[in-house]
Amino acid sequence: MKGNMSSHIYGKKMKTITAIILFITTWLFSSITLAASHNIILSAETLPNGQYGYKMISHTTDGAAPNYPADAVIPGPTLFVQGGDVVNIQLTNNTNIKVGFNVGGLSVGNAISILPKQTRNYRFNADKVGTFPYGDEKSALLGLFGAIVVDDPSGKVQSFLDGDGTLTAVKRDQLNKEFVMFMVGSTFWGAEISADGTQKPLWTNPTLGAVENQLVRFHVLAVGHAHTFHLHAHRWPDSTNNGNTASSNIIDVKLMSSPHSSHTFTIKAGTGVGPGVWQYHCHVMSHMQSGMNGKFHVVAAGSGETGDSIAGASPRGKIFLNDSDEPGLVTFIMSDEPGSWFRSARGNALSPVTHTKSLEIIPPGSSVHFIMSDTNGVHTVTNLLWPSDAGKNDHGGDHFMIPIDETKAYRGGGIVQLNVPGLYVFTCKIHPFMFAAVIVDDPKTDGLDLGNTIDLVSGIKDLPTSSDLATRLVSTFFIATTPSNWRDFTSTNPWHVAYPNVDVVTDAGKLSLVEVLEARYGQDVQLTSLSKPATPGVGEVWVDTQFEKTAGKTKPGAITVLDTSDWTLKRKIALPQINMNNPHNMWANRDHSVVYATQWFDTKLTLIDQKTGKLIKNIHVGDTPSHVMTLPTTDDVTIAIHGENGVVRMPVGTTEVDYMMPTQQHGQAPANPHGHWISADGKRIITPNVNTGDAGIYDTETGQIVVRTQTGGGAPVPHPIAIGMMPDSSRVYAANLLHHSISVLDGNNGALLNTINLIADYNPITGEFADKDGNGVVAVGVLPIQTPVSPDGKVMVTASMGGQIVITDTTTNKIVKMLSCDPGCHGANFGAKQGGGYYAYVSSKFSNRLIVVDPDPNGDGKLDDAEIAGSVSMVADKGVPKDDTVSNLAGFGGQGVLPLPIVYNGWVQNLPSEWSAGLTDKQRNPIQ
Amino acid sequence: MRRIFAAESLAGNLSLSHKKKCNFRLMSTIWSRMLFAISLLFLINSVLAGNLHRIGMFAEEMAGGYFAYRMMHYEIIGQDGSASNITSRYSNAATIPGPTIIITEGDEVEIELMYQINPDRENSKHNQVSIHVHGVHYDKDSDGTLKYINLYKDESATPVVSYIYRWHAALGTAGTWPYHDHNMDSHNGAEDRGLFGALIVNPASAAMNNIKKEFVLYIVDDAIVGMETNNTTGQHTPLWVNPTLTAERDSDVRFHVLALGTNFHQFQLNDYTWVDPGTVNQINTKAIGPLEKHVFVVNATHSSSYMDTAFSSVLLGMKGDFVVAH
Ligand SMILES: [Cu+2]
Ligand SMILES: [Cu+2]
Repeated sequence: MKGNMSSHIYGKKMKTITAIILFITTWLFSSITLAASHNIILSAETLPNGQYGYKMISHTTDGAAPNYPADAVIPGPTLFVQGGDVVNIQLTNNTNIKVGFNVGGLSVGNAISILPKQTRNYRFNADKVGTFPYGDEKSALLGLFGAIVVDDPSGKVQSFLDGDGTLTAVKRDQLNKEFVMFMVGSTFWGAEISADGTQKPLWTNPTLGAVENQLVRFHVLAVGHAHTFHLHAHRWPDSTNNGNTASSNIIDVKLMSSPHSSHTFTIKAGTGVGPGVWQYHCHVMSHMQSGMNGKFHVVAAGSGETGDSIAGASPRGKIFLNDSDEPGLVTFIMSDEPGSWFRSARGNALSPVTHTKSLEIIPPGSSVHFIMSDTNGVHTVTNLLWPSDAGKNDHGGDHFMIPIDETKAYRGGGIVQLNVPGLYVFTCKIHPFMFAAVIVDDPKTDGLDLGNTIDLVSGIKDLPTSSDLATRLVSTFFIATTPSNWRDFTSTNPWHVAYPNVDVVTDAGKLSLVEVLEARYGQDVQLTSLSKPATPGVGEVWVDTQFEKTAGKTKPGAITVLDTSDWTLKRKIALPQINMNNPHNMWANRDHSVVYATQWFDTKLTLIDQKTGKLIKNIHVGDTPSHVMTLPTTDDVTIAIHGENGVVRMPVGTTEVDYMMPTQQHGQAPANPHGHWISADGKRIITPNVNTGDAGIYDTETGQIVVRTQTGGGAPVPHPIAIGMMPDSSRVYAANLLHHSISVLDGNNGALLNTINLIADYNPITGEFADKDGNGVVAVGVLPIQTPVSPDGKVMVTASMGGQIVITDTTTNKIVKMLSCDPGCHGANFGAKQGGGYYAYVSSKFSNRLIVVDPDPNGDGKLDDAEIAGSVSMVADKGVPKDDTVSNLAGFGGQGVLPLPIVYNGWVQNLPSEWSAGLTDKQRNPIQ
Repeated sequence: MRRIFAAESLAGNLSLSHKKKCNFRLMSTIWSRMLFAISLLFLINSVLAGNLHRIGMFAEEMAGGYFAYRMMHYEIIGQDGSASNITSRYSNAATIPGPTIIITEGDEVEIELMYQINPDRENSKHNQVSIHVHGVHYDKDSDGTLKYINLYKDESATPVVSYIYRWHAALGTAGTWPYHDHNMDSHNGAEDRGLFGALIVNPASAAMNNIKKEFVLYIVDDAIVGMETNNTTGQHTPLWVNPTLTAERDSDVRFHVLALGTNFHQFQLNDYTWVDPGTVNQINTKAIGPLEKHVFVVNATHSSSYMDTAFSSVLLGMKGDFVVAH
């Protein structure tokens, strides 16, 4: 080994001498050019997959202009100019969106954007040497970006570090090639510029090629999110802070900070390491896991190999409706917009066929690309299901990426090549109703290939695609992703779900998708008209109608306040002044003067005046806050930071969070807690740890982990999402969304006591519902979410996304009843019923009513007569006070529910008299 | 060897002067190029033989779901063939960060990795662990990646066989470099579960005798984990989570700040300033992203504290004291 390496190095020494002499000759006699002006005509175009790109129409300058690609490309054409040059740009907008031209780091005079079909001139002076990203500020992440390289007029470019340690100066005309590599979302977008100036698009995650010892300059740029660039086996001087001056700071990883940055360096390919396939990648863990890497292939000199680069999947490649020989790319925009959480960039064009904007069709070998370009939150890109073969070890290398998942929620995107035909569904682990579906269709078969079997992230393997569970998920997908498929109780028409009229190929052969789904799950169902409960409740119910759109803001979500004395709406709170974004869950302070609301696709906790509905304050608390609750002991506020690692505290009387209680030990996988609960004595915080599949019990005082207990019967991803708790803290209930079960834990030591299977009565193959567990009732709860226990500890009500409400007797932990809910059934919480007892208020994401459940109408303590007492529309008529005009999706998106007064044991005792006045003695002391 | 650094600063000065005297650009450019070219010709005797570091490490499982590297064996073979065994300077348990490996430009490293993790029976192809190092030279056998990435071979220790990586800290590779797993469970490896450490390559040109302590501080997503090396005794001490760092008054200590994970950080050492490497800027805070490094020396004059000032890092208490005493 030692001898080998030395001879290798001595061989190089001779080459170095030759190179240096050559280099001296060229350098001394090269000419020095003068400032020039450039007249560049560009257009912005829409690409076949719905992304955008800049196209070079002409570039006139004193010298020779480069040889540009004929069509629009991503990244856009690379503009090479020299320090002191003047650049005039004429831009024509051939897209259907507004497009502008900005340069990060250089000032462009009057850089306003232009409407479709307009043309505008921009001008800037290349007064700084360096590489700068140009592009459209708003839509850059969808492809409207490119690089401007301003070189030193002397021709000097970044020095490279040779294998013998020599820092060697370089002139541009010595470069064998240059690469422009944009880091966007979790994808590299590349272009190659050859020595003769020819520009070639390399698209996504290309294989960059070079011959050993060639001089290659990299321009790494980022728009949008932050990244760290790393190239294996190479190192270079960091000249970022000193122009092109050789730096003594030798690096191989570089931070690309948000919102835009660039880093240029020169390397000698393979110097000191030799030929090889060297990976380049982003070194942000979640970005690595979502596919952000490619290869730098250095071939041996004299080997006869040319060291050509290989382009990656492209927006011009083969996808449904676009023929090409190249691998194609479809793009899903990840968004805070209801229904369109994963929206195909060409969703509007596809939806007449697919009846959703979230379904794409590609041939095997093409890729799917995700970009978090329309969201303020953190997310994951996670396979919910995939063709069984794609995830198998013995099926090529696909198992390295399928199922795709990340350990941590993050900002960025994702990219994955799909080779095995069949159905893939992607979701976000944080927001498990965000869905994208991709059918990888073998063009040789007749009908769209769903494949024979799928595997599910929850651990189910080899599920036939014609099974009831598979088609039920498909039906759920079409309902969730298309608002016109939601249950609208203001409409007198029957509830119609539009499914695509296509043939699909399943394990049972070719089927008509629409016929199967309609036969199994019905169509044009007449919705029951709403009727108010006969007995009033006590106080108000605040409901997060999280998807409701209003005119004064771009983000969705309102809070709907219901007066339970007469079941009328009291107020709509949309808070346009802060662009309140997806309000998800609420709680109130001890005297109920302040309601706290979390913005689940954002970073904020919002404080609202209970009496007026006015904004008090909007506070940054962390990524993607989900649930909020006060400590009954101190009135401190606790907020589960779902996209991060813990629960933060905002001390009573303050408006700043001061501490995060980690839900895991340092360095362990983030738990991503969602819907926490607090014991009545305030001593324990219990979190459902979505990412790690457990329920954690934490000591409020010390912040220490008391115990963490795996939930969901050992399933790989049970996805515990919400906690219910007995009023005496004796037991904890954790709803396992993807395991369709409730784990029952000892409230003191966390011991697992029982697992209530909510789908025991369901046959996933045939879809038959029957009393298989022999408990005397047919009851199913598919995808359970919120699961509160009544303040008196007698009953648990579980809202299940599959459209069921499950009633469980907490004395026996047996299911006693199933009630019908709406699609996306989600939120549940107990409030006081006038004269004694409790109502459970249940909300649904894909409907616009609130269901009022009376678990014990006659108050005899038996639950077999549990019933829906009534339901109330969440749609406000003209008379209801509002702070903004409802513009779309009125009353939809029901999630967090907060009845006031808060009547849970531990909190109810602290109510001021004005709030406790309406309660019975028993309600004031629920467990005595 | 000092010539490399002399040449570099010469180049720096020249390019500065060439900017200022742009009226005489052509003249001065040719002149500076000649000077620089001449200085380059002196550099060609730059191959330096160094020591050989023969290292054996385990990749192990730790309670709590972590993985970590453990030093098994460390022997330095000098140019004269003499061998010295320094294994006892390292913790005999697995640590996070893993063992700090300190070498000098010109040295070579032969590092054998052994797989000591319970194999996953269902996914036997995932039972691989590696060391991928940054910065130094190695050929394509020692990248520590999977065939899926390098199109060559799986460069991993497995339950049945160890793997030997060979590094050459050639001239120009001085600096502090992370090493980490690249192969466990997936093609991204399990670096975020504890399989990481630091390699310090001291420059051949400058003695580092003045530095009394090395603090390797890895900023992970929710903590700062440390490893200390006492250069007087040669002893390595794991400092674990958000540690208190101690230094003798008026001693020079070197901070090696690295990051790893998904989050971005802002490292700060209060009431001290230092030069941002590669620049002339005096700083006391530095933005750092995953797998970046930031290395600086301070003379310990007074007690202080270090911290990551990113929003959630502050809430998580990602900070520690820097205690300076006699
Ligand atoms: Cu990245
Ligand atoms: Cu999400």
